Amino acid sequence: MAIPLAYNVRNLFVRRWTTAFTMGGIALVVAATMLLAALVGGLQRMLVSTGEPDNLVVLRKGATSDGSSMLPRDAVQALRTLTGVARGPDGEPLASPEIVNQPFVRTTSGNRENVLVRGVEPVALRVHRAVRIVEGRLFRPKLGEVVAGRGAFQRYVPGGLGSRIEFGRRRWTVVGVFDSGGTAFDSEIWADVRDVQDDTRRTGYSGVRLQVAPADREVVIRRVAADGRFTLEAKPEQSYYREQAETANSLYILVLTLAVVMATGAVFGALNTMFAAVSARTAEIGTLRALGFARGTILVSFLTESLLLAAGGLGSGVALAALAVWAVNTLLSGVQFSMMTFSVATVLLRLTPGGALLGLVLAAAIGVLGGIFPAWQAAHLRVVDALHRA
Amino acid sequence: MTWPRLVLRNLLRHPLRTLFTTLSIALSIFLVCAVLTLPGALAAIFERQSSNTRISVHHKAGLTYWLPYAFVRKVRSVPGVAAVNHYSWFGGIYDEPKNLFPNFAMDPETAAQVWPDYGIEPAALERFRKTRNGAVVGEQTMRKFDWRIGQEITLRGTIFPVDLTLEIVGVIPEASGNPVVLWFNRVYLEEAMEPRGGLRFVGMLWVRADRPEHVDRVMQTIADLFRNSEAEVAAETEQAFLTSWFSSFQGFIRVILAVGFLVVGAVVLIAANTSAMGVRERIPEIAVLKSLGFRRRPILLALMAESTLQASIGGVAGAAAAYGILGALRTAGKTGGGMPFLGPLANFQMSPQVAAEGVAIAVVVGLVAGAVPAWNGARLNVVEALRRLF
Repeated sequence: MAIPLAYNVRNLFVRRWTTAFTMGGIALVVAATMLLAALVGGLQRMLVSTGEPDNLVVLRKGATSDGSSMLPRDAVQALRTLTGVARGPDGEPLASPEIVNQPFVRTTSGNRENVLVRGVEPVALRVHRAVRIVEGRLFRPKLGEVVAGRGAFQRYVPGGLGSRIEFGRRRWTVVGVFDSGGTAFDSEIWADVRDVQDDTRRTGYSGVRLQVAPADREVVIRRVAADGRFTLEAKPEQSYYREQAETANSLYILVLTLAVVMATGAVFGALNTMFAAVSARTAEIGTLRALGFARGTILVSFLTESLLLAAGGLGSGVALAALAVWAVNTLLSGVQFSMMTFSVATVLLRLTPGGALLGLVLAAAIGVLGGIFPAWQAAHLRVVDALHRA
Repeated sequence: MTWPRLVLRNLLRHPLRTLFTTLSIALSIFLVCAVLTLPGALAAIFERQSSNTRISVHHKAGLTYWLPYAFVRKVRSVPGVAAVNHYSWFGGIYDEPKNLFPNFAMDPETAAQVWPDYGIEPAALERFRKTRNGAVVGEQTMRKFDWRIGQEITLRGTIFPVDLTLEIVGVIPEASGNPVVLWFNRVYLEEAMEPRGGLRFVGMLWVRADRPEHVDRVMQTIADLFRNSEAEVAAETEQAFLTSWFSSFQGFIRVILAVGFLVVGAVVLIAANTSAMGVRERIPEIAVLKSLGFRRRPILLALMAESTLQASIGGVAGAAAAYGILGALRTAGKTGGGMPFLGPLANFQMSPQVAAEGVAIAVVVGLVAGAVPAWNGARLNVVEALRRLF
């Protein structure tokens, strides 16, 4: 016969301060871990979800990002007419030549940041299909007009739509806001490619994004590499961003290390609590045994109590982490990261299933490891000795 | 029994419990130290003394806007200027594209005058001046790629259409605080670019003022010198330049600090739980002490001393472990490389100051955790307690 669960629950209530402190400790450990996991999760999600499956990024061979690549004008011309590049219904090749620049832009709080400004042509919106103008309109060429990604708009355009912001050598009018569904583009400002070329006094481009039918992909990649006139390299847009996300994986090791060390600390806390519980209830355990409850039953009962502690900690820890994530995302409007290109990207924290699983595993481990030894001790008390203490 | 012995005996009454709690505190302080290393490294960068006389001069619009090379000569003649050097971002790739590290074309002639604080060997700088394709490399980068002095390496250009073969002639020591950078002679890059239209621009200038009190005037003069010219400049101290460069890390550091805060909270709860348990079990004893005539204060102090001593031991152990492990990881070259978006912060260089902070936090944890239980113990109602006993 099993000892009723109510016995454990009531015991936890009797020692309410000890229970609260131990649960609190576990909760803080779970919350800290999940908060960090949410940071990494947000960073990875932003990078992994960026890019279209049938787009190629063409850069200078060896360049890691479009910020560190330079293409001459005739290379762009050659790519536009490359066979295999998809065409719109009007016959226009879906090739978006782009120039990337990183001027200082003032944030709404007055700091100066390197912001990624992408000079594009109107065809960019047909190649980057995730990008949609959600407010206002697209810029017109040669007028110094820009559209800002959702995140960039919030951070750098205090005056709102139609206002002017200053960066580079001139002032620009913000005529639209675009949304790319939480991808890296949301932290960018897009302008007319010739305006950006004028502003940076550059004649070339950083790279070209091509839309290519999936069947033609490998052929086009090979064709780009084989062109002896230029040293170019094409790669799928998704793997381009995923490579950048690889750096986030190294952060995961950091989070895991942190989680394991913290959890070990919490296990010690739980051990103290449970050992104390066993020693305070020695007489009770003796009575239970005398009444005929088996060793195994007692072991399970104490282990259950420890798991209840951990479950309480997990519940409040998840709540705390959710609160912290909400606070960071709304009050600080996300966390700024300096990316490979040295421009700033805003990452919204995200509680991922992976992060939640990590919290769960952590709490379960604390409950089991913190409870098993005291429970073993409780189960193996000698009845006579235990009753003697009463 | 003397007072310190009472404290010690009490600590050893439950050796296992004391061990668990101490370990728990040690682990937490270990984490707090590791976490504080990030903002600590940032503070160390800002506080470097000599950077107060080093001035960064760059285009007002951003670091991607280059300056005419002629500016170097013009700035050299500004009164109060001791020496001028310059940086041009080459962005070369060694071996694999993901091996990103900063490499700049600069002027070997004035390296010693502009960066006397870097502690580069005079003989190395002499070789740097004399070797046309010479390069001096930060100690950490040397270690990362397993380079040796005298070795020839090839950097593949992605911004410049040239590859450069450089001979390593010297090392920039770890203590410079900039152990990842690679410097090579700008003249060598100019020669390589000659058939492709030459190179008439520099990325930015580094100016050293002759005396600290001249810094403000020199910055003002330089800014005025190029007002309304083809490229307006911003001149600021190295410290201000780095502060603004790193401002984008603030959000990330806030999250990291929040995690540290949660860890400290967790350990306070765990330690407080332990001392509360200790006091609760000792109620009869405390009552006896009081009835023997001991006053509140010595009892309170003994109980506080117990938790503080325990926490201090844990704190010292944790801080020492963090210092040792992070130091060993650094020496093994395991840090610094993997996280380009953390920039120089990824070195995880833990300063003795951070270790001291960790120990201080531990002491506070001990005081806080001991305070309420000790207070409760000290003002125990003797009659009540003794009645419970008999």
